[in-house]
Amino acid sequence: METAELKQRVKEQIIKFLNLTTVKPENIRDEEPLFGEGLGLDSIDSIELIVMLSREYGINIQDPKEGRKVLVNVNTMVDYIEKNRTK
Amino acid sequence: MLYIHKTACISPQQTHPEADLNRLMASKNNMLQITEPVYADIPPGVLRRMGKAVRLSVGAALPLLKNGPAPDGIIIGTANGGIEDCIKFLNQIIEYNEGLLTPGNFVQSTSNAPAAQIALITKNKKYNCTHTHRGLAFENALLDAIMQLEENVENSYLVGSVDEISAYNFNIDRLAGCFREAVISNDKLFETPVAGTIAGEGCFMMTVSGKAAGAEARVVALLTIHSTDENLVRNTLEQFLHQTGFSENAPDLLISGENGDSRLQKYYDAAESLFPETASIARFKHLSGEYCTASSFGFWLGTEILRTGKIPGIVLKREGSRRIERILIYNCFRGLQHGMILLESIIHTR
Amino acid sequence: MSRIMITGMGIISAIGNSVAENRDSLKNKRGGISRLEFYPTAYAGKLPCGEIKISSETFREKLFTHPDSAITRTGLLVLHAAEEAVKDSGLTPDQLAFRDTALVGATTVGGMCLTDELFRDAHERNYGSPYTSSYDYASVTLAAQQRFGITGEISTINTACSSSANAILYGARLIKRGYAKRVIVGGADSLAKFTINGFNALNILSSGLCAPFDRNRNGLNLGEGSAFLVLEREEDVKGKKIYAVLSGFGNSNDAYHPSSISPEGEGPYLSMKEALERAKLKADEISYINAHGTGTENNDETESVAMQRLFGTPPPFASTKSFTGHTLGASGAIEAVYSVLGLMHQEIYPSLQFSEPILSTGLIPLHDYRQQAVRHVMSNSFGFGGNCTTLIFSKP
Repeated sequence: METAELKQRVKEQIIKFLNLTTVKPENIRDEEPLFGEGLGLDSIDSIELIVMLSREYGINIQDPKEGRKVLVNVNTMVDYIEKNRTK
Repeated sequence: MLYIHKTACISPQQTHPEADLNRLMASKNNMLQITEPVYADIPPGVLRRMGKAVRLSVGAALPLLKNGPAPDGIIIGTANGGIEDCIKFLNQIIEYNEGLLTPGNFVQSTSNAPAAQIALITKNKKYNCTHTHRGLAFENALLDAIMQLEENVENSYLVGSVDEISAYNFNIDRLAGCFREAVISNDKLFETPVAGTIAGEGCFMMTVSGKAAGAEARVVALLTIHSTDENLVRNTLEQFLHQTGFSENAPDLLISGENGDSRLQKYYDAAESLFPETASIARFKHLSGEYCTASSFGFWLGTEILRTGKIPGIVLKREGSRRIERILIYNCFRGLQHGMILLESIIHTR
Repeated sequence: MSRIMITGMGIISAIGNSVAENRDSLKNKRGGISRLEFYPTAYAGKLPCGEIKISSETFREKLFTHPDSAITRTGLLVLHAAEEAVKDSGLTPDQLAFRDTALVGATTVGGMCLTDELFRDAHERNYGSPYTSSYDYASVTLAAQQRFGITGEISTINTACSSSANAILYGARLIKRGYAKRVIVGGADSLAKFTINGFNALNILSSGLCAPFDRNRNGLNLGEGSAFLVLEREEDVKGKKIYAVLSGFGNSNDAYHPSSISPEGEGPYLSMKEALERAKLKADEISYINAHGTGTENNDETESVAMQRLFGTPPPFASTKSFTGHTLGASGAIEAVYSVLGLMHQEIYPSLQFSEPILSTGLIPLHDYRQQAVRHVMSNSFGFGGNCTTLIFSKP
């Protein structure tokens, strides 16, 4: 899958997994922070996204510190998925 | 004394934001379900995570708390909490064989989630409690507030209840024999009493205080009892009325939780037997459906009747001759739990 | 206004099946957190729990006259502990049946310990299990209502980890406001896939023994148990043994996040402060604190901050969850029993598995059993949804 396509897919999955009903994929910028500022997600969301990475891409992140590095923005997520996906 | 200020009731009928009980909304497959409002007051970032029970509770409570002093406590009654979220989490446990699961459903399913979310959004750090005692969860929340207002008459509270239907808990209750086997329409609920009733859901919230200023009604007294003996229930009710000074002037209206279930008819007959012909009788389960905290709908109905001075035709079982100033709400849940609440108007008696 | 006296107690936990057995374990530092033997979960070998090593079948035999009664394990634990408490207090069957005897239970799991049955009944079209009316929270309190024939006021409270502490608070209020003369109060929780998986999904369970207030703590261990106390009015207890007075209580909401406490420990601080005010005590009059102390990163640090804010230097404190695991809805009542035991026997109990203090606070929990003068004990319970409750028990 092309990176651009994967980025679009990940945005759709974030929206679906976290039930962000008022957000559209085109509203999420690739470099926009997911936590704190930007999309404003919190600790429960970070756990949900780790589950999403496991279910959708077969990636298992055990260490929460590693999770924080991966889940900075869509770019970092897609980068990690491309390098580590097993599905 | 507990004085009732603002109320909000989200139910299967047209009760929110304004009440219009001229038309009976119909049940479907023995369920009376809510058409949820648009929740203008709930930020989308928070709304997205909420299960139905939490959405209803927050949606009903926030407008009551806007522009008012922060209450000294938030007290909610809910028998099942976010049962839908609970079963969704359960489905995950089974589907993923206890593997990697998302926690959102779990956190939202806890029965204290409605009270907690209201506190979180309004930054209310005061007393916060959730009562979950099945058919008396609302009565317990109300008693909790009554007691605290007796302690401190200057205080005010948000008190309410919520219970939702999910396909799952409807199924469990259906298997337990709570509902009619044949599908009926709610307008025929009382026609031929047989075992079983129809399911409902609802959320009721109110702000209460220890002061009469600005209030329209008050709760004079409340009592609950667990018993399967209709004679004990009748005697208890009679004593309750007597102790609250109603023996000469029996309440003007009985709001009865009669629900078309023949197994419970003896309790409702016992309650009705205490009311002379001059008193009116109303019932509401064909509007609300049956659920653990359905007595709160009856309570809301009582406050509406006191406010407007009229009993909507749709709920009237028997018309008496008296002006309605005092109401007894009596509800029996599954033949064991009985709740009795005495409401009084203060508009006329002031 | 009459003081609230404790005249009876009953308890079952991973460290004992009675009040005496629990006390013996606390004195001798015998923890009860271990590998699961009875509860069927995929996590049996991975997540140690405070399991009561008695099967539900054995409970049913010991407690039961109706083999058909669909009482779940949680309900059985309620009956076990409530029976001990009622017997201990000497309440007669007549008294139990009076309208002025109330009952307040608490649970967070209720009958959902039967996770697989619940799943089947939720989806099954035609035949329900015997438990279709036993899943909710009220079912466990109703088991006691039926056993004792209670006709007075009854409630079941679920405010997550502070549930049974709130049951005690609510029960005390029923007496103070004249809605009851005596109340049986407490709570229970049994191990359940629902909570094991729920807490695990939040990454707050430890795969080792929990280490409350330790720098390297990495989560809690779940536990199961039940405890009940009998509360009575002072004027009614002449000639009875009185264990302690419930002299203060406080309830607040942290209002910060659904599943974690604020960094400044605001909710805990407020509930402790309110309890002191109600008890008309100064902070330095508290002899010992039975802390919430779950062993999670968030709780222990924020609870420490709150204690320091209120006490400056806190009195000796410990988390008995290091013995029993976190018994959720039962923890408030279990820890109330431990608090009362300390007052009765003039002793204070340690925290287990502690090595080094949290860097930012430097607080060290008590790590040995000690006999000393004990006048007032504070017991804290802080839960999900920011529900914080504090109880203060005093020597009569």
